[in-house]
Amino acid sequence: MVSPHGIKLAVYLISSYFGDLNAKVCDCLLRRGTQTLYQVVSSTELSRTNVKNCLLVLIHHNCVQAFALRQPGGFGDEPKVITQYMALFDNIIHKLRFPKFIEIVSEELGKECEEIFEGLLQHGRLSLTEIIERYKETSKQGDSSADAARDSFNSLVNARFVERCPAPDPLLEPPAAEETAAKKRGAKSAKIQAQTMEQQALAAAAPMESMRFLVEDILNDSVERTDKRTTDVKCGMKRKHDDVESNTKDPGTGGKEVLWRANFEEFIRRLRHKACVANVKVRVNNDAAIVLAATLELSRHSETKLRMDNSVPQSINAIYDEVIKREGGLGMDLERIRASLDDLGCEAPLMEIDETYSVDLKNIIEQARIEEVESIVLKRYGREAYRMFRLLSKADRLVETDKISDTTFVEKKDAVKILFKLWKDDYLEMKKVIARAAKQSEFILWKINKQSLWEHILDEMYHAALNLRLRITHEKEQEKEILQMPKEKLVGELGNKYMRLRKVCIVLESSLMNLDDSLMLFHDF
Amino acid sequence: MSRSSEAAAMKRKRPDSSTQGLVDAELVVLNVVKSKKNLGIWVADVKKEANIAPALVDKCLTSLVKKNLIKKVPTIQNKAKKHYMAVEYEPSEELTGGAWYSEGKLDKEFITVLRETCLKVIGMMKVATVEGIHDFLKKRKVVECCTSQQVGEILNSMVLDDAIIEVKSTGLGEYHSIPIGSVCYRIAVGDTSGPKTIGPMASIPCGACPRISVCTPDGIISPKTCVYYTKWLNIEF
Repeated sequence: MVSPHGIKLAVYLISSYFGDLNAKVCDCLLRRGTQTLYQVVSSTELSRTNVKNCLLVLIHHNCVQAFALRQPGGFGDEPKVITQYMALFDNIIHKLRFPKFIEIVSEELGKECEEIFEGLLQHGRLSLTEIIERYKETSKQGDSSADAARDSFNSLVNARFVERCPAPDPLLEPPAAEETAAKKRGAKSAKIQAQTMEQQALAAAAPMESMRFLVEDILNDSVERTDKRTTDVKCGMKRKHDDVESNTKDPGTGGKEVLWRANFEEFIRRLRHKACVANVKVRVNNDAAIVLAATLELSRHSETKLRMDNSVPQSINAIYDEVIKREGGLGMDLERIRASLDDLGCEAPLMEIDETYSVDLKNIIEQARIEEVESIVLKRYGREAYRMFRLLSKADRLVETDKISDTTFVEKKDAVKILFKLWKDDYLEMKKVIARAAKQSEFILWKINKQSLWEHILDEMYHAALNLRLRITHEKEQEKEILQMPKEKLVGELGNKYMRLRKVCIVLESSLMNLDDSLMLFHDF
Repeated sequence: MSRSSEAAAMKRKRPDSSTQGLVDAELVVLNVVKSKKNLGIWVADVKKEANIAPALVDKCLTSLVKKNLIKKVPTIQNKAKKHYMAVEYEPSEELTGGAWYSEGKLDKEFITVLRETCLKVIGMMKVATVEGIHDFLKKRKVVECCTSQQVGEILNSMVLDDAIIEVKSTGLGEYHSIPIGSVCYRIAVGDTSGPKTIGPMASIPCGACPRISVCTPDGIISPKTCVYYTKWLNIEF
């Protein structure tokens, strides 16, 4: 379930990139969940053509995924196939992070790849020919640039920064028995079923792993096509192959070409690793951070999903080889690496023969989240509240008011006040216990429920991110005249105003980028 | 002197005598108060238990205090409640709030002094156990009348403040003098207490905003008109 402010932020992002009509359609899909074209038209009250165009734009920019659902017909009727549309919330919010993605590409693969990748982000989906054409236009080097573009593109795919687009319209066939049962079970179970349906659709649409990062040589495409077909069928994934086929035959793209898009999963994985390393660097020490970075570099390609609880086990020798390649890692020996792994919470294996280590990433992420929330509590409620909050987060169970005030050295009356404030703002859970012994007395117990607190914090963060965006727009709007003036005229008073606006925008935008790190910490990692 | 004045003198004389000279009511009240030992008793409870007219109880209590047989004690639970206790007892921890309270108030000064001293001691010793720190304090007579349990409590609160960290001794290096596995303390990395990094959320106005729940894009409180934002953006330069 997406948080209410998350939806607001997503809709605002869509409206600033693609206009209000698209935002309206997107809002409808986010709030009401998966819908058919007819349903979208009736609930947005837009014309059919408008909605259709909006959906096309949103699909092209990977914000919406369509899928067909075969529904059993009535008495004696043929089964109907209905196309459903679902909004991809994560992909919409990723728009906020494009600068970070571009930076990663530029750092790792250089300027040329960055240009190609930037084009891909701007256009959502492109075929290889289109990419090469675009590159030719910008570089103006004639035909030689085509090869350069293809090389850059290949390295983007090899680094898994770019992937094949999912199938535009995968067909789902829900089992008939469940369908009728769900109706009887009422709204709640139907909702659960809908969710799995969306996940099913995404899974069905995704290109199979072996095809995902496969670049076909387009020059020999027609010759090789027949060979390819046979090899693919041999893999035993006939249906998947058909999906790719239908994708390539898409009339909208003109021709038979495969469409490519940015692979967000890979970027989020890298950012997740980066965040873990940064956290360890501050919390543990530099050595541990170097060892962790090395371990994650090794295990990156074998990670099967985004939210891996533990890093893939690596042998101590492999870790050593990777560590000495890194900055600051050259002086480390096996003993120091073992000590750092111990600091990271890895237990040394009992058997010496197969010495492998796996780092508990989930714990690192959890620690980072706690730190983030603690610093919010400190800022918003003061040092005493911070101390109490830390006590509760460490205890991770119900604690009585008097016990809290005694351990944290806060006057009992103040303690109760602070605890109630935190409870009112949904940071704590409260339980009242009434003891009926000699005389009736009431105890109040407090606890932090991490799961619901994370959701609450995430919602506040979406809210804050939206606020930053709104303020940026507001500041720019206020100084509209200055922004439209030619630079030569910006002197004296106007020049100062211009400089102020620039600084304000830099502060706001960099804060937004930092806040986005926290958004990922609580939502994607 | 007339007879009546003689009687008055007798009456006046009576309170000066010891327990034997007490009126019945006073004796009952005194026994009730004494029975509670170091817990003391609240006036309303005396009235309930003594089974005497409330006004008389009040009278008895004042006269008993005058005779120095009972005393009034402060409580941390509720300062407005009048609590009485026999003179021979010292108030229990439930009433005083323990060693950290003096006269029903949290002794902040004492706590601060003790915290600072502990921090200095740990800084000198690098790694120390509760007993180690307590012994050090006792030997140097830095802080008097302080148990090792109290030192433990102080250290615990400092861990919560992230000024020091709790570690388990490995028995190696700096830990050589401390038995393996025993809990000891060391100064946290970084100079200041509190979180090492201020999170991105906490460093913008929204992170510290008490009104974020009523803030909407076009409402009375909105990011466009937000005073915290204006302040923030103006202070920067």
